[in-house]
Amino acid sequence: MNLWRATAIAKRGLFWIVLALVMVFVLFPIYWMLTTSFKEPLEYATRTPSWFPHRITLEHYREIWKEGAYRYFINTVLVSVGATLLSLGIAFPAAYGLARFRFPARLDLFFLLWVLLVRMAPPVVLAIPLYTTLQGMGLLNKLTGLVIAYQVYTLPYSIWMLLRFVRDVPIEVEEAAAIDGASKGRTLVSIVLPLVGPGLVATAIFAVIMTWNEFIYALLFLRRPEVFTLPIHISHFITEYEVLWGPLMAIGITSSLPILILSGYVQKHLLRGFAISFK
Amino acid sequence: MRRLRRWSHRHANLLFLLPALILIVFLTVYPLVRVFYLSFYRYNPIRRIERFVGFLNYQRLFSDRFFLTGLKNTFLFSVGATLTEVLLGLGLALLFNVKFRGRKFLLPLVIFPMMFSTMVICAIWRSMYHYDYGIFNYALRSAGLQPVKWLISQDLALWSVVLVDIWQWTPMAFLILLAGLQSIPGELYEAAKVDGATGVRLFRHITLPLLRNHIFLALLLRSIDTFKIFDKVYALTGGGPGTATETISFYIYREGFRYFNMGRASAAAVVMFLAVSVVSFVYIRQVWRGEG
Repeated sequence: MNLWRATAIAKRGLFWIVLALVMVFVLFPIYWMLTTSFKEPLEYATRTPSWFPHRITLEHYREIWKEGAYRYFINTVLVSVGATLLSLGIAFPAAYGLARFRFPARLDLFFLLWVLLVRMAPPVVLAIPLYTTLQGMGLLNKLTGLVIAYQVYTLPYSIWMLLRFVRDVPIEVEEAAAIDGASKGRTLVSIVLPLVGPGLVATAIFAVIMTWNEFIYALLFLRRPEVFTLPIHISHFITEYEVLWGPLMAIGITSSLPILILSGYVQKHLLRGFAISFK
Repeated sequence: MRRLRRWSHRHANLLFLLPALILIVFLTVYPLVRVFYLSFYRYNPIRRIERFVGFLNYQRLFSDRFFLTGLKNTFLFSVGATLTEVLLGLGLALLFNVKFRGRKFLLPLVIFPMMFSTMVICAIWRSMYHYDYGIFNYALRSAGLQPVKWLISQDLALWSVVLVDIWQWTPMAFLILLAGLQSIPGELYEAAKVDGATGVRLFRHITLPLLRNHIFLALLLRSIDTFKIFDKVYALTGGGPGTATETISFYIYREGFRYFNMGRASAAAVVMFLAVSVVSFVYIRQVWRGEG
């Protein structure tokens, strides 16, 4: 009996040790970014960096503000909100149509699977023709151009996400509206829209996160500093200055805050949001 | 006019889908056709060259040391990262499948890494990997060990990039597998325990078989995603040292957007698209089955 209790305690202890190690691995880099952003350069650009900041300074945050990082912030907000709204506006009717109607020649199924294939495809594959297309439309180095290019990511994504939310709406509600003589368009706006509201918000949040963090298209299609988004600004920072880590981490923290806050709202949709799963 | 109205009435449903259909064709079907077309041309938009060359781009591609190394590295990266992430994700999911105090608080923290922009993550890891000032080498030196050339050694650089990917994306595998674990009814374990089964045997004969689909899903999604590896290579190593972290995406980027050798880059893009599609099809077939 004693042996049994001893192993139980050992198991319990092992569990907590493993858990602690995991949490250290997960959280240490974030801790390191946070503390570095508050350290003076002498404390990080050295062969003996300090584990805890000895003197906390806000200097780096002031510096990035003075150097106009808010411009990249504004650009990022414009692009990701723009891309998200455009996607939702187009994807919502599409998702509704796909959930409710039959299309000739199984168009609906082919469309859905094509869109899924696109979502899986490497973005760099489409980059060359998109580049020449945007160039032809005069949309290179324009935020509008990036908003359009981002539809490659956000549109397939929004269609699949919304499809699931629309399917959860009981069809009886719509039938009642149809009996009352409402048109399909009206039903969509005044009956279905309020019911999928929360799903729409969740989809929007994921689309914002996706575009907020996007790198490769922003790198290829925006080449002038005045239109840079945050990830591009950060990438220049990383590759051009070897150890200017204080301001770099400060901008890293600032640029991640909106996303971390938003992600709090979608905790319960996380799985749906990141993986189109199958049974 | 009347016929048009009748037609539009009958196909009104199509109107819901039309804007999405047009945009998808414009943004994906057309570019794919175009990239396929360009792969048979010598094409440089800066020097205004566009000349049909047949299969030359493909021939050159497969005798290009950079491309072949890129292919090999992409494969190594994808397999190494995917297997580790799913394995660690499984361990993590088993850990969080236990009800313990503070679980609700720790769970969102574990997901944290995948919320950050890859560039922010690269900034952190590049500072930690730094040979002279990085915290890893400081820790090693403090312990009396040799410092490691994380990102500047031919043999190690690729695996250092893999480690960053593991840190960022294990949470994804974790989420999928945790959902899988929680869908297994507890009675099954109870019943097996009554029959005298314990730890390892429960895991092998109940957990693993029932988790098979979720493990498969995690493997598929992570391998498709890691195959695209670009951002981390761009920000951490720039493809170096030498060709140690050259990948296909990076090759396409360099050929296409630095040398504007877009014909060759298109050929590489076609090869890459076909390679990813093979894996994607497995995934799509599964989803198709689910859609019924």
